[in-house]
Amino acid sequence: MSEVLLEIRDLHIGIARRHGADEIVRGVNISVAPGEKLGIVGESGSGKTLTMLAVLRLLASPPLSVLKGEILLDGEDLAHVDERRLRQVRGGEIAFVYQDPMSSLNPLLLVGRQIEETLKAHGVTGAAAAQRTGEVLTQVGLADPDRVRRSYPHQLSGGMIQRVMIAMALATSPRLLIADEPTTALDVTIQRQILELVTSLQEETGMAVLWVTHDLGVVASLVDRVAVMYAGRIVESATTEQLFARPTHPYTSALLQSLPGTGSSHRSPLHQIGGTPPDPTRLGAGCPFRVRCPFAEERCAQAEPDLIDRGQGSLAACWKDPSQW
Amino acid sequence: MVEVALSARSLTKVYGGRRGQAQVNALNDVSLDLERGRTLGIVGESGCGKSTLARLLVGLEAPTSGSLAIDGQAVAMNERGARGSLARKIQLVFQDPFSSLDPRMTVEKALGEVLRVHDLHTDATDTRIGELLAMVGLTARFAARYPHELSGGQAQRVAVARALAVEPEILVLDEPTSALDVSVRAEIINLLVRIQDELGLSYLFISHDLSMVRHISDDIAVMYLGRVVESGRFDQVFVTPLHPYTSALADAIPVPDPEHERSRKAAGVSTVVVQGVAVSAGCPYAPRCALVQDRCRQTLPVLEEKADGHRVACFVALEAEG
Repeated sequence: MSEVLLEIRDLHIGIARRHGADEIVRGVNISVAPGEKLGIVGESGSGKTLTMLAVLRLLASPPLSVLKGEILLDGEDLAHVDERRLRQVRGGEIAFVYQDPMSSLNPLLLVGRQIEETLKAHGVTGAAAAQRTGEVLTQVGLADPDRVRRSYPHQLSGGMIQRVMIAMALATSPRLLIADEPTTALDVTIQRQILELVTSLQEETGMAVLWVTHDLGVVASLVDRVAVMYAGRIVESATTEQLFARPTHPYTSALLQSLPGTGSSHRSPLHQIGGTPPDPTRLGAGCPFRVRCPFAEERCAQAEPDLIDRGQGSLAACWKDPSQW
Repeated sequence: MVEVALSARSLTKVYGGRRGQAQVNALNDVSLDLERGRTLGIVGESGCGKSTLARLLVGLEAPTSGSLAIDGQAVAMNERGARGSLARKIQLVFQDPFSSLDPRMTVEKALGEVLRVHDLHTDATDTRIGELLAMVGLTARFAARYPHELSGGQAQRVAVARALAVEPEILVLDEPTSALDVSVRAEIINLLVRIQDELGLSYLFISHDLSMVRHISDDIAVMYLGRVVESGRFDQVFVTPLHPYTSALADAIPVPDPEHERSRKAAGVSTVVVQGVAVSAGCPYAPRCALVQDRCRQTLPVLEEKADGHRVACFVALEAEG
């Protein structure tokens, strides 16, 4: 059996309503091995961000709450640890980088001070904290680390701020870095720098990476394995190579076909998926993708399939084998 | 004979500069020609001036200097209201449909308002609204809906319908798919291509999504720090880029193909460049450029034709063989 660093088991997240709760994450299983780079792909409302927030018990509760499921870090269930232990894990063993870096830093504090605070929370103080801050700022490729640590967030560019966030995340040498669309707000050239940076840091430190994105291009350039989410569930899980070469869920396949570039000629119609992503609080019985699916049949309306093994490491929540499409 | 729908000459926009504020040259001597019925794609990073350009073209802001002609007629850009009937010929579609549609207006009211303001189809408003919705692939029942009752794709269709209401000749599309979910981007692009072919419109398509720009555009202009640094037909610019910045930009795009990404890594392609620093003289790209020479820091290269309509503002590229 292979080693597992983080395991999310049968996670269900609900949003409180006047009568009971609507389930918006519906049974997600994810496991990350030490040093593994896993991508979570999905559109808005697919539940990818909520799943990541639940790992560190950061869901806004109420109205959101974990209805069911376990989150195991090295076998320790994070749902049941006390606040003290939780603070050790947050920013210690698991670090989080958010989509909008500008709003995740305190605008009134110097950047260096904010990194030192993180270190202090994890037992590194004084000269050691100052030294470590300099180290990580250098490690993320900031040209003038001394100037950066003496700057306020508004004095730095978006790309520099995101490097600062990554430096802060790395300061405590986490075993897992969770990044929620950290490059979406950045320009492509800066995005490429960040992707290269994370790849090289991951190789150096051996940390595992969970990278949440809606961009399949980012997935192709960064991660080893991908989980595709749709309407609160994982609908396909595969190695990056397999996902692109041989998608086994019709949603993944349709997404790949809709991209311009490979195979589409100039100005010719792009493949349309049709319909819109479902409202996760209003799902009926059956597979939530069936209304947009070209291969839907009767049984798809009756029951939602679990992940089915489609060979070569690919799992898909679809009744039909790709050979029958 | 090529007809030019829109022609901009030496557009410059300077912000600030009053009461000791620093001056920002958002747009520097930008000249463009948009040919009738074609799509001109504008690409570049944030801060390159592409949105400022859009705002100047549709008259939301006045340029510091420069001129604009639509259908060969000069547009008065510095007097409010002086655009007159020319204003109707060019319309803007914004990135986020939910912030460009009034949340308290139904689709019918939003479209009706445009028709009323421009005094169009006043005797048959309902019929015209139905036509406009049909044009963007929506049924008449959408007329009664409020923006919050629409999906992102539907809302962007309404925004396109509103732009089409005044029967424009030119649409300026500022990142029209960036705020949409990946699975609905293709349908908006297909819609835009279909409408353009049906109505013979000319598009100015602004985006940082290079694969979309490449798909839809006939011609491309690449902007860097307020200047056009390369322009030409889409295949010239993307297949045989001349400016080092265009190459860096194209290389930086993550391609949804693991094979491609692996060969990139093997080839050691890296776009790690230092942050651009404002320079007083010379080429604006010089501080980031791998091919930089002494003269690049002293003299500003101007856009010159290298081959059959393919222009570049780079000393090195202009002198290179081929």
